Amino acid sequence: MSGGLAGIAGLAVLPLPWPFEREYMQLALAAGLVIGICAPLIGTFLVQQRLSLMGDGIGHLALAGIAAGLLLEVWPVWSAMVVAAVGALSIEWLRSRRRATSDLALALWFYGGIAGGVVLASRSTGGSGAILPYLFGSILTVDRSEVLLVVLLGLGIVVAVAAFGRTLFAIVIDEESARVAGLPVGAGNALLAVLTAVTVVAAMQVVGVLLVAALMVLPVATSRNLARSFRGTLAGAAGIGAFAVVAGLAAARQWALAPGGSIVLVAAGTFAVVGVVGGRTGTRRTVLVEAPAPGTAPVTGRDPHEDHDHDHPGSGSG
Amino acid sequence: MTAAGATGPAVLAAHGVSFAYGADPAVTAVDLTVTPGEFVALVGPNGSGKSTLLRLLLGLLTPDAGTVELLGHPPRALRERWRVGYVPQRRILDLDVPATVTEVVASGRTARRGWWKPPRPADRAAVEHALDAVAIADLRRRPVGALSGGQQQRVLIARALVAEPTVLVLDEPIAGVDRESQRLFRDSLVHLVEHHDTAVLLVSHELGAVADDLDRVVVLQRRVRFDGPPSELAATGVHLGVHADDLPRWLEDLQA
Ligand SMILES: Nc1ncnc2c1ncn2[C@@H]1O[C@H](COP(=O)(O)OP(=O)(O)OP(=O)(O)O)[C@@H](O)[C@H]1O
Ligand SMILES: [Mg+2]
Repeated sequence: MSGGLAGIAGLAVLPLPWPFEREYMQLALAAGLVIGICAPLIGTFLVQQRLSLMGDGIGHLALAGIAAGLLLEVWPVWSAMVVAAVGALSIEWLRSRRRATSDLALALWFYGGIAGGVVLASRSTGGSGAILPYLFGSILTVDRSEVLLVVLLGLGIVVAVAAFGRTLFAIVIDEESARVAGLPVGAGNALLAVLTAVTVVAAMQVVGVLLVAALMVLPVATSRNLARSFRGTLAGAAGIGAFAVVAGLAAARQWALAPGGSIVLVAAGTFAVVGVVGGRTGTRRTVLVEAPAPGTAPVTGRDPHEDHDHDHPGSGSG
Repeated sequence: MTAAGATGPAVLAAHGVSFAYGADPAVTAVDLTVTPGEFVALVGPNGSGKSTLLRLLLGLLTPDAGTVELLGHPPRALRERWRVGYVPQRRILDLDVPATVTEVVASGRTARRGWWKPPRPADRAAVEHALDAVAIADLRRRPVGALSGGQQQRVLIARALVAEPTVLVLDEPIAGVDRESQRLFRDSLVHLVEHHDTAVLLVSHELGAVADDLDRVVVLQRRVRFDGPPSELAATGVHLGVHADDLPRWLEDLQA
């Protein structure tokens, strides 16, 4: 990140080793690291809230926002931000009012967004091709002002997570109890929705709307399998996201691959490797269980009404 | 336990409360008050409306008829919400969270501290205290998803205790908890009631552990069928032992 900031400040190109010795790679690295760190931070809360595909739904809406901006001849980032934020809040509203299940609400925006984007873009001067750069991102051609925008949005996301993370945690693990305790559940959920929109728009030029959601989910899925604490899950997800950006950019440079896709493939590969090494398949949590502490009373009587479709890996044994 | 409980303003009150999810009423014309320092058990067969009544009392549901007061206020108007502690029925809460026991318990303190503030030493001390109260200090660094059902239940109890609430509402908190932990749980509830004047409203199918400590028992089957001291209920032949199998039979007789 500091490399990008130095670049923005107009300083000399930093003496970084291959593959980041060139200025365009340093700018790509700066923008990529911000997204690689921020997207999983937000994603950790979304995954816990069973809104893993939120980033995807918002991404498609942001695309419609881009197309609207091109048509109205306003800065597309602004129009995308407005449309994405309004869309995110409306998904949250539908979810909280139970007007629609979250996956139905997401599907609505997912398809409505991409259809709206294509239709709006076909009316603009560039034709539907004008939205293509936002579909797949163009991280290798970001300029300094774009990097600066990404860095500022990223800082906002990190500050918000640092300040409100504990409240968001209490809400995503048990919304009803958080409500009883008087936590601002509605405001917290709205904040999360807006942060998702900000992340998507910031990531649009870097990995593209089609792939930003992957960075919100894949590093989180990997980290959930490794970490024991929520704090550790957040840190691990951000670390894996950052690793995917560095390795993905290096691979893209070496073999002339599409950078956004390479970054996401590294994130997916990391998940697969951790899943295999962890010895489990599927999405089930792999929990590293320590030996039961002495004096821990074993459970004898279980609730006879309890449903049995959850099993608790390693409960009492290990 | 405390006769003084009969005086003072109610911490929880329902006046003629009715509620239906769809066409079928879940609770009908329920009157219930709990005063400071009172220890009240709410019992009834499955589907008798116990959880629904708790959700109404906590302001999570709005009654179709009647009114509810929480610490003397309509639930929406109450400011110090953290003074109400709530342990939800665990089987409707998915604890597959990548979080440690300490993190989950500490989350119960967020509202009391002020949600924008970082934890202070007093908050950390309260967490330690709550962990000890239900004897899960040994488990503090374990991920909650890796605990047994009974251990998870104790985590939820600690999360409610950590805010040091004025009134504690527990929905089947000791389901699946072993006898030794039930005893610990009883001791911590009795301590709260006696030394902190905390009012407790407890829904449970297993009242054996606390039967001697209760001020009142309320039997619910859509309506309030009984509201009085446990000895009076025992006099009708109903015992509050494990699963209180005689309760449904007694209710059937009442209706006949
Ligand atoms: N969310 C809901 N939607 C529709 N009906 C519901 C809902 N929750 C409960 N009910 C119905 O309301 C009635 C009372 O349910 P409630 O959960 O209050 O019972 P309970 O006494 O807590 O039972 P249990 O001992 O099984 O916990 C039941 O008939 C139940 O089917
Ligand atoms: Mg219930």
